[in-house]
Amino acid sequence: MTTNTARDATATASGTGQARAGGGTSVRLQDLTRAFGGTRALDGLSIEMAPGELVALLGPSGCGKTTALRIVAGFETADTGSVLIDGKDISSVPAAKRDMGMVFQSYSLFPNMSALDNVAFGLRMRKIATGERRQQAAGLLDMVGLAPQASQYPHQLSGGQQQRVALARALAIQPRVLLLDEPLSALDAKVRLQLREQIRTLQQQLGTTTLFVTHDQEEALSMADRVGVMSRGRLEQIAAPDELYTDPATAFVAEFVGVMNRIPGELQAGGQVAVLGKTVPVRGHRPDQTAVDVLVRPEGLDLEIVANGNGIVTTRTFLGSVTRVGVQLDGDVAVLLDRPSTESAALAPGESVAVSLPAQPVLVTARRAG
Amino acid sequence: MGSTVAAPGSLADPGALSPPGPSGPSRVTLALRWLRKISGIVPFAVFVTFGLLLPMVAVAAGAFQNNDGGFTFSNVSAATHGIYLKGFWQSIILSVISAVIPGILGLIVAYAIFTAKRAQVLRQVAITAAGVFANFGGVPLAFIFIATIGSSGLVSQWLTSLGFDPYAHGFTLYSLTGVIFVYLYFQIPLMVLVILPALEGLRPAWREAAANLGARTFDYWRYVAGPVLLPSFLGCVLLLFGSALSAYATTEALTNGTIPLTSIQIGSFLNGNVIAGQENIGKALGLGMVVIIAIAMVFYVVLQRRSAKWLR
Amino acid sequence: MAALGGSGGIGPPRSGGLRGVVPPGWHSTVWRWAVLLATAVYFLLPLWAALRFAGISAFGSVVGESGFTSSLGLSVRLAVITTVITIALMLPTAVYVHLRLPGLRRLLEGITILPIVIPPVVLIVGVLAIAPGFLKGTSWLLALEYVILAMPFSYRALDAGLRALDLKTIVEASSSLGAGWISTLARVILPNMRTALLSATVLSVAMVLGEYTMASLDLFQTFPVWIYVNSQTSGQVSVAASLLALFVTWFFLMIITVLGTRQSRKTGGGEVTLFTVARTETRGD
Repeated sequence: MTTNTARDATATASGTGQARAGGGTSVRLQDLTRAFGGTRALDGLSIEMAPGELVALLGPSGCGKTTALRIVAGFETADTGSVLIDGKDISSVPAAKRDMGMVFQSYSLFPNMSALDNVAFGLRMRKIATGERRQQAAGLLDMVGLAPQASQYPHQLSGGQQQRVALARALAIQPRVLLLDEPLSALDAKVRLQLREQIRTLQQQLGTTTLFVTHDQEEALSMADRVGVMSRGRLEQIAAPDELYTDPATAFVAEFVGVMNRIPGELQAGGQVAVLGKTVPVRGHRPDQTAVDVLVRPEGLDLEIVANGNGIVTTRTFLGSVTRVGVQLDGDVAVLLDRPSTESAALAPGESVAVSLPAQPVLVTARRAG
Repeated sequence: MGSTVAAPGSLADPGALSPPGPSGPSRVTLALRWLRKISGIVPFAVFVTFGLLLPMVAVAAGAFQNNDGGFTFSNVSAATHGIYLKGFWQSIILSVISAVIPGILGLIVAYAIFTAKRAQVLRQVAITAAGVFANFGGVPLAFIFIATIGSSGLVSQWLTSLGFDPYAHGFTLYSLTGVIFVYLYFQIPLMVLVILPALEGLRPAWREAAANLGARTFDYWRYVAGPVLLPSFLGCVLLLFGSALSAYATTEALTNGTIPLTSIQIGSFLNGNVIAGQENIGKALGLGMVVIIAIAMVFYVVLQRRSAKWLR
Repeated sequence: MAALGGSGGIGPPRSGGLRGVVPPGWHSTVWRWAVLLATAVYFLLPLWAALRFAGISAFGSVVGESGFTSSLGLSVRLAVITTVITIALMLPTAVYVHLRLPGLRRLLEGITILPIVIPPVVLIVGVLAIAPGFLKGTSWLLALEYVILAMPFSYRALDAGLRALDLKTIVEASSSLGAGWISTLARVILPNMRTALLSATVLSVAMVLGEYTMASLDLFQTFPVWIYVNSQTSGQVSVAASLLALFVTWFFLMIITVLGTRQSRKTGGGEVTLFTVARTETRGD
């Protein structure tokens, strides 16, 4: 257990300092399963986290991400599988001894203690002397920008402030791993953005391996080194944010991350699919049936204003630098296209257009019934 | 019915608005608005006034009246001396003990129920039982205990057959000790009922956060749950104090007036077992009880306010 | 606090509570059951002793004793009147305070708790002193006082039911859709308060059926008074009657709790007990 002061732990702004003696901690989740009654919350989850990495677990409600986090923290036990920290199996280590810092969704500050005492609590548990622990706690509060609020009580603090105190409290014990359970979902948008940056900056400065659970994809994509998309207890894909967006491994990931169009097509022999009057190669998984939907991003479609084209413009939504155009294609298919706003002035609803695909490999998935 | 609803936590006081003028409503309008606002609780207020407050005032007034209706302190002075003073003392001691012990035991039982989150049937049985037993007092309760540990009660005989006769060792149900033992029967359930909501206010995140930071169960209770629950706990103990102090029927049935206790003494005045011309002493005794309880209630309110802040 | 691999599964996280962090180890469970067992013994043993003392035959002859029906009838009538007045008075008041005067909630809680700590003995003295002539000597006076005595429990039950609703929002929604005050109360609030109303009802009834002090000093022979008077002559029957009252009340309360939980589950709520209606927290999973 290192006894660095908070000051030591703050690396210089010029880089992601490895302030911890010996570098960060590697974390490995191995084949975790957990069932509640009849439902499988986790179905064989395996993730390897490199030291100092921030991995976000992203997914809809019920996908198992919080369960996974709580298993790592020690609040729940996996039915099978194990959690390894730096190669050692900690599955039988009690939560209090795991040396991990956790930030909960909300209301986790002890109401009977001031902000300072809250932050110092973990240090008190480690029997650090009063003077020193108050000093360290003060340093941490300063790090999250709440030094003036040190003697205030949780009920006197705003939601954003409370979460910052919670963060300082978790970091005070210099944890090997930082765990964040949707820490920003209870906050309003502006505060969320500020805290996002603050958490990421701190995490990089300290080099703490971090597992971050969220259902907000923007949060995950903007903060994480890698994002693991989960669905129904399984990991669909884990990759860097841009890879997730441009190269989704499965249809679920493709549709969950960002906006995705579904255009009906026919699977052909030789790994091709016929769609929108063209034939393009298929990449990734090929479904068993010939009736498929082709998955294309809004920015992946081309549009031309022509008379008697294959579609009619239905909506036009100004989004800033980009304008999202809704087009109704022949055959009752609705698609969205993103085009630069400067080029979209002439696109009025009712306009006849031709929508086409560039000749690039596309993802396909079995056509949805109905 | 007005369509605006006051913001929670604020008593949108019309009087705090800007002074009347071309820019604001007139004082009369504000006053009318305020009247309309409180009109909703008028029925309740009337009921409580006539059913609770005025009788109390009548008792207080009667305490200072002599038989001709004139003002006198003699009742009050009689009520604070001699056998009546002893009655007060014993009542207070009895009530304190009958508040603290069931308070602690009740907390333990409540916590056991609270943590049995999985055994739902058990929880429901236990809580309903608490609701029933908290109201179960008086004569039936006395009888039941007489049947259990009275001189020829079931448990007494059973213990005697095992070689230990409690009555031979000085224990008797018909003493203060016995009364305390019986009071547990409705005080513990009462404590369970009133402390459970406070326990429900203990957020699971606190327990988990504490564990995550390295706290053992003991540390959690010492630094977090204990301090947070303390105001509620003390408040509930005060409630139990008041409840024990006002108990009448059970004690009467058990002791038949052999032990001087204020509530019994008041009862005997009403039953007419007194020398003529001294009826108002009973009222003075009543006033005394109300004063004691009023003091306890003030503390209760202060404590509840404190705990509400934390257990939001 | 060992999260022992695979041992003592924690079970599905429920609404609130100490899910998974209460040590899954055996020792805390043992302690909890020991406490509950000891408590059960303390409370059930006297009942058992009373049962044996009274004898089964006594239960049979309870109904036949003179005064049984009249006193029970009086108590039941009182219970009904008390309950009706209690609900008619406390429910609108509670709703009103929740909606319009939230600052008075603490005060209301404080006032309604008073009857627990005011000795009924003292109260009846005062009541008899100020009661107007037309009420004195009638059982109506007693009923009105019983409403006061039932306040602590009935208000707490109603308050718990209201706290579990997002009252302000549903009332605003209702009035924005055009419903008047009465409509809102009857169609929106009441149906969501069924359990709380039932709890308040049964608690009031339980209280009335067990209240001795005020009735006896007001010279009315209600059921508990009859039990006392009768005990001078045949103790066994009295005890049998007391036990009967106890078990019947318990039975009804259990039914309410079970039905209440079932209904609450249907509408997405959590477990229901007398003074709490747990809301299921949405699991942010």
